[in-house]
Amino acid sequence: MKIKTHLLTAAAAAIAGTLFLSGCDKPATPAPTEAPAEAAATPEATATPEAPTPEAAAPAAAAPVTNDEPKELNLFCWSEYVPQTVIDAFTAKTGIKVNVQNYASNEEMLQKLLSGGGQYDLLQPSEYIVEAMIKEDMLMPLDQSLIPNLKNLAPEFRALDFDPNNKFSVPWMAGTVGIVINVEQVTDPITGFADVFQEKYKGKIVVLDDAREIVSWAMATNGIPMNDITDENIEKIRPTLQAWLPLVKVYDSDSPKTAMLNGDVALGIVWSGEGALLLDQEPDKFKWVLPKEGTHLFVDSLVVPKTAKHPKNAEMFINFILEPEISAMISADFPYLNPNVEGRKLLSPEQLANVASFPPSEVVAELQTFKDIGEQSSVVDDLITTIKVE
Amino acid sequence: MAASATATPAPSAAFERKPGLGAWVFMAPLLLWLLLFVVVPTGMLIMTSFVERDSLGRLVYNFTWENYIRAFDWKWLKILLVSIWYAFLTTVICMVVGYPVAYFIGRSPDRFRTLLITLVMIPFWTSFLIRTYAWIAILSRDGLLNSFLISASIIPAPIGMMYTPFAIVLGLVYTYLPFMILPIYTSVERMDGAMIEAAYDLGAGPVRAFSKVIIPLTRPGIVAGALLVFVPSVAMFAITTLMGGGSNPTIGEIIQKQFTSARNMPFGAALGTLLLVLFCVALWATRARGRDDAD
Amino acid sequence: MRSHMEASAPTGLGNSAARWRWPSGPRLQRLLFGSWSLAVFAFLYIPIIILVVFSFNESRLNVQWVGFTTQWYKELFENAVLIKAFKNSVIVAVGATVLSTVLGTIGAWMMYRYRFPMRNALNLLIFVPMVMPEILMGVSLLILFVNMHLQLGYLTMIIAHTTFCFPFVLVGVQARLEGIDPFLEEAAMDLGATPIQAFWKVIVPYLMPAIVAGALMAFTLSFDEYIVSLFTTGPDSQTLPLKVYGMARKGLDPQLNALSALFVLGTIALVLFSQLTKKRT
Repeated sequence: MKIKTHLLTAAAAAIAGTLFLSGCDKPATPAPTEAPAEAAATPEATATPEAPTPEAAAPAAAAPVTNDEPKELNLFCWSEYVPQTVIDAFTAKTGIKVNVQNYASNEEMLQKLLSGGGQYDLLQPSEYIVEAMIKEDMLMPLDQSLIPNLKNLAPEFRALDFDPNNKFSVPWMAGTVGIVINVEQVTDPITGFADVFQEKYKGKIVVLDDAREIVSWAMATNGIPMNDITDENIEKIRPTLQAWLPLVKVYDSDSPKTAMLNGDVALGIVWSGEGALLLDQEPDKFKWVLPKEGTHLFVDSLVVPKTAKHPKNAEMFINFILEPEISAMISADFPYLNPNVEGRKLLSPEQLANVASFPPSEVVAELQTFKDIGEQSSVVDDLITTIKVE
Repeated sequence: MAASATATPAPSAAFERKPGLGAWVFMAPLLLWLLLFVVVPTGMLIMTSFVERDSLGRLVYNFTWENYIRAFDWKWLKILLVSIWYAFLTTVICMVVGYPVAYFIGRSPDRFRTLLITLVMIPFWTSFLIRTYAWIAILSRDGLLNSFLISASIIPAPIGMMYTPFAIVLGLVYTYLPFMILPIYTSVERMDGAMIEAAYDLGAGPVRAFSKVIIPLTRPGIVAGALLVFVPSVAMFAITTLMGGGSNPTIGEIIQKQFTSARNMPFGAALGTLLLVLFCVALWATRARGRDDAD
Repeated sequence: MRSHMEASAPTGLGNSAARWRWPSGPRLQRLLFGSWSLAVFAFLYIPIIILVVFSFNESRLNVQWVGFTTQWYKELFENAVLIKAFKNSVIVAVGATVLSTVLGTIGAWMMYRYRFPMRNALNLLIFVPMVMPEILMGVSLLILFVNMHLQLGYLTMIIAHTTFCFPFVLVGVQARLEGIDPFLEEAAMDLGATPIQAFWKVIVPYLMPAIVAGALMAFTLSFDEYIVSLFTTGPDSQTLPLKVYGMARKGLDPQLNALSALFVLGTIALVLFSQLTKKRT
């Protein structure tokens, strides 16, 4: 999926929410006695279904359910990425009304934000946009005392390159990019990009319509670190791309599974969520493989923009979604890599067995994430367009 | 006969008055609207095409020609020509397919006309995405059309119809057909039956009556329809990407990408401005020629 | 001479003669055109039929038929978010349609009737919203609204939608104006009408098919608009395309099919009812 899109939408949502909440005071560090006192007192805190592990239940109640902000939250997120059930549960628990605005691409969100539109409290950017936003000082540091559920996250998600210690962002869902194969049409073993881009599969391949992604695969195949986007390296991978792109039938970042399901293509390099959906839909027909040349991890996170008007509510929401039961609800709707270890314990064996959703954790720990490449985005985009048109 | 739909039709010179105060008052809303919501944004667009941007994509207000220099590259021209070609093909097909329908509806009894013309539009009140996915379900390799053709023994194996130029044109024609039918209908509807009857009375066969009388009478509608199909479809990208697979990007898609993944708003604005300029030139050229015809 | 030729009213008003066969012309022509139109209607409605069928499909992904179910309809009625989005789409579309129709019709008439200075520039400007790629329009309107300190919401969306819808109305009405009897208005005024009355009572009825056609086009364009809406919406005015466009990732929810099916069938029923109960003219 387009993480950039999440970022854009999240950014725009944040800005919108921020403008909205202009009546509010800037939150001061909450009084230290607030948290445990609230935990003991409020019965609603324990109203959520019991978690199997007792340790999870008590700290989940530690976040205060009341603060001095108006009971409103402006969320700008990817369409359907935040299940309505989760939003309703949050409102039921805290009485905070959530205004949801959606976007379908990270960049759209960023563009709306940069053009001055909307005030949001929460955005849902992808990792490289989070990085860019941190660099540009657009995000508010999170008050982690309001988010005790951070401990539910798997350790590799608490030490991410672009935001160590979750100073500004909390991972929502993660994933990889890999190869999905229609085993009825493809009988040869496929282990990596080189196997996919063979003449015999010409016109039978679907790939993501994401210039950066495609370039990263070419770089991995040529042994170049994927964030090293220099003019030199671009020239090195040009021949690879020139050989690859004419073989592609469909470029689709939104729903590559459609082409796979309809039989129009036999192989695809797609988001892990798409792969997981295909495996769920027809487990005997599709196979998922992580390319041996290497892949990367993408992480969509919740962030709070500096201009947020209800940051405490935002942090409350973040804490809420880190509760194991809520995390399981999100996974039920989206078979991506759930960074919440406690949440994973609540998933069904089928969900956990889906190799597209949950690659082995040693693999995940090794994966790199995309760094923000700024102006090089244009160069990369240009490269792919040029080769497409040749 | 006035030349094109875009030229203000030219009745006798004595008829066209100089606008008095009242006329200005009534014209004011349109003028203000144009000024505020068309001229100003266009100005912003042009201005954006002359500035730079930073790594996040925000505008940096330093004057530069670099966006235009970059735009004058053969590959953009190629993409533009492809887009224009698709738009042209779509317009012609819509004209041929849509005219008979517009004629039929326009000559139906009064009480059916509005019904029929609304029925033409109603399918487009569904979400664009599900309509497109319905077409994908029809045209794909494992889809309905192939299944039908195979079970009827018309073809031995499925044909790949999706993600081809055929699919693109189909998608475009489907989307824009109503915008051809409706304007032609309004011209057909005002045709005086007397003139057509006269043509037949004077011995013209149906084909001659059509080509020599009916089509010229409905020319304003045809031209309006052609404009309302051709102009928007040049910049269209959503359908071409979904139906065509994206391996042959259109100019609309390129501009879209500049604003999103390429984070290069100024370049996108430059391409957009060039598109506008191109269009203005074309419009001026056709109207100038049209005016010559009328003289 | 045929009697209805003498019975014709001044040529500008077209179909005054009531005694036409349907449609006029040789029978073969009628048959040909009729069956062609039927085929085209079938073409227009095939995807609609499919999406209605899929609204009863048991699978969530709109790809293969799995089994019959009405669960999506049930879920739709409980889906307050989707229903609100739909309502917003209708509100914005109706607003934009009304404004576009007014602007387009009056504008076209004024430009036809009076020789305004810079008429050529005006004609050009009218086409600009049609040529300009939507994302450019969306972003520039957003920047404009922000600078005007307008709250993003229904108003900004209606303004934005009207801006790209009214050219369609205007061009359509202009086409209908071409060849109108230039003395129609004068005749009315000779009978004592003011220019405004003449416009309202004589010109507008003449223009009605073009106005209706323009309104239909405007509504359609507005209802399905995504990009411009994205940039000009506020938190409360999310329209259907905004909710729907990201859905492709998870697979389009068949509730959407159900919604569209209901809307289509509903409007068809409404139009059928209103038209067929009209008295024969």
